[in-house]
Amino acid sequence: MSTSEPSGTPALELRALGKTYGRGARGKRAVDDVSLSVRHGEVYGFLGPNGAGKSTTIRMALGLIRPTDGEALLFGRPVSDKQALRRVGSLVDGGTFYPFLSGRDNLRVLARTQGHDGARIEAVLERVDLANDAKRKVKGYSTGMKQRLGVAAALLDDPDLVILDEPANGLDAAGIQDMRNLLRGLAADGKAVFLSSHLLHEVQQICDRVAIVHKGKLLRESSIRDLLDHGQALRVEAEPLDTAETALQGKWPVERAPDGLRVQAPRADAPAIVRQLVEAGADVFRVGPDDQSLEEIFLTMTRDTDA
Amino acid sequence: MLDAVRAEALKLRRHRATWLMVWIYPIAIALIMIGVLLYGAFSAHDSGPPQSAAEWIQDSAMLWKIPTSGPGRFLIAGFAAVVFAGEYGWNTWKLIIPARTRWQLIAAKWAVALGFLVIALVAADLIMLLGGWLGSLQDGQLPAGVTLAAVAEAHWKAGVHALLPIIYTIAFAGLFAILTQSILATMILSIAIVVIEGMLPLIAIFFHGYAPALTTWLVKVLPFYHMANLGAWAKGGVVIPFGPNEILSMSWTTSFWALTAWIVAAGAATQLRFLRQDLN
Repeated sequence: MSTSEPSGTPALELRALGKTYGRGARGKRAVDDVSLSVRHGEVYGFLGPNGAGKSTTIRMALGLIRPTDGEALLFGRPVSDKQALRRVGSLVDGGTFYPFLSGRDNLRVLARTQGHDGARIEAVLERVDLANDAKRKVKGYSTGMKQRLGVAAALLDDPDLVILDEPANGLDAAGIQDMRNLLRGLAADGKAVFLSSHLLHEVQQICDRVAIVHKGKLLRESSIRDLLDHGQALRVEAEPLDTAETALQGKWPVERAPDGLRVQAPRADAPAIVRQLVEAGADVFRVGPDDQSLEEIFLTMTRDTDA
Repeated sequence: MLDAVRAEALKLRRHRATWLMVWIYPIAIALIMIGVLLYGAFSAHDSGPPQSAAEWIQDSAMLWKIPTSGPGRFLIAGFAAVVFAGEYGWNTWKLIIPARTRWQLIAAKWAVALGFLVIALVAADLIMLLGGWLGSLQDGQLPAGVTLAAVAEAHWKAGVHALLPIIYTIAFAGLFAILTQSILATMILSIAIVVIEGMLPLIAIFFHGYAPALTTWLVKVLPFYHMANLGAWAKGGVVIPFGPNEILSMSWTTSFWALTAWIVAAGAATQLRFLRQDLN
């Protein structure tokens, strides 16, 4: 596919995107002022709990839903520009297909609708490991097979931007591993990948950047590295915890963590922290760098918003 | 645009609804004709009084009355309901909308719904004609005066007269499908229209007693009378007596243009609604 836009133009850009369902007092704000951009060659994760507005945002980016505010741009052009939209491959709702047609015929229908003869059908079926089941009617497919056919459909026209709504849903461990490799491969080919997911561990492994949404609002957009890097913090496991917390509180900022204490201190302070704890009569089990997972950060951020 | 039509045809040509509501015409007519010919071949029967050429030709084009009849229109509306509202039920608009402009997707559905029906009806008509010809040969010979040109003209006229009611039924079923997003609701509304058309004389007489001017105006403007008028073209149209001193009778041409205007309006409303529709 051609890339005629100026270099540096994001593959997907959302500008103050908003959607309200209904009107007046009964109106429900599903998406509120969401701005982000997805660059070529990166895998971008869109994280949020159920009802956060992820799917609504994706539908607006695909022209399925009209935004109430703001705009979605594909390769610098509005979504209404069909040429821009033709460069996008998408998977929404876990792959929606004609149940009475075979997997291959579904792709033929899509290829015809896209305006080509479907020369890549067999290749994409091979790529998602569905070539042997392509003759079967889709109504007999498992959830994972539909999901894989959805990915095949998304890749059919060799898109420059791939938008996937919960692509790992219904996949087994091997399928998730394949999906991970596939998405990283697409990014390595210079394509932009935008995926929504609730599988935070997967997002942490696949994505270069993430946006966290909650109740329709964008809480944070950042690279995975920046998000996970909380500066200089140490995780301390000691007993009794109250004694340990009291002993450290005067010298370092301390907060309770799920399995101990989180101390804002550089690595060089670790010996002093141990000495302080021992002098206070606490038993020290572990002092090490605080590797907070994306899941913990995500839960903390969404909990803070709820509060 | 042609690709969109091909995609739509590929999708629907072997769908169960297409077999039951479209391909049923040539299949049923073929079976009936085979049955009649077999009966004629193996049983001694009186072929009755000889038919005139005009009667034979008129009977041979009888098939074209089916799509303008109530049951025929139920089938057409049912098929159109599946074509248009099926995408909501299968949740497949999301698959195809990013690939093509919305107006083209709707236009492709009109083209395929009409195209399939015309193909099926023409095929059924030809089968019926062939069966009638073989039946006449079985009984003796064709009535004198039956020429290929006369047969072709009669069938062409009958087909053309049936076309507008078919398009009208598809147009309104398509509109109902986009508005209700449901095959069942589309069918119910389409059936309601056919029923109203059938009851129009009674309804008109009833309301004319209370609001004569308004009733006359509504009957003239709404599509129901015009549809019935076109459907009865062979009998010279439909006359509605509002009372002892007032009747409504309009020309075929007036009804043709009135119905065309309604079809265009229904088509435009379908496109506009679909263009602005959120597909969650």
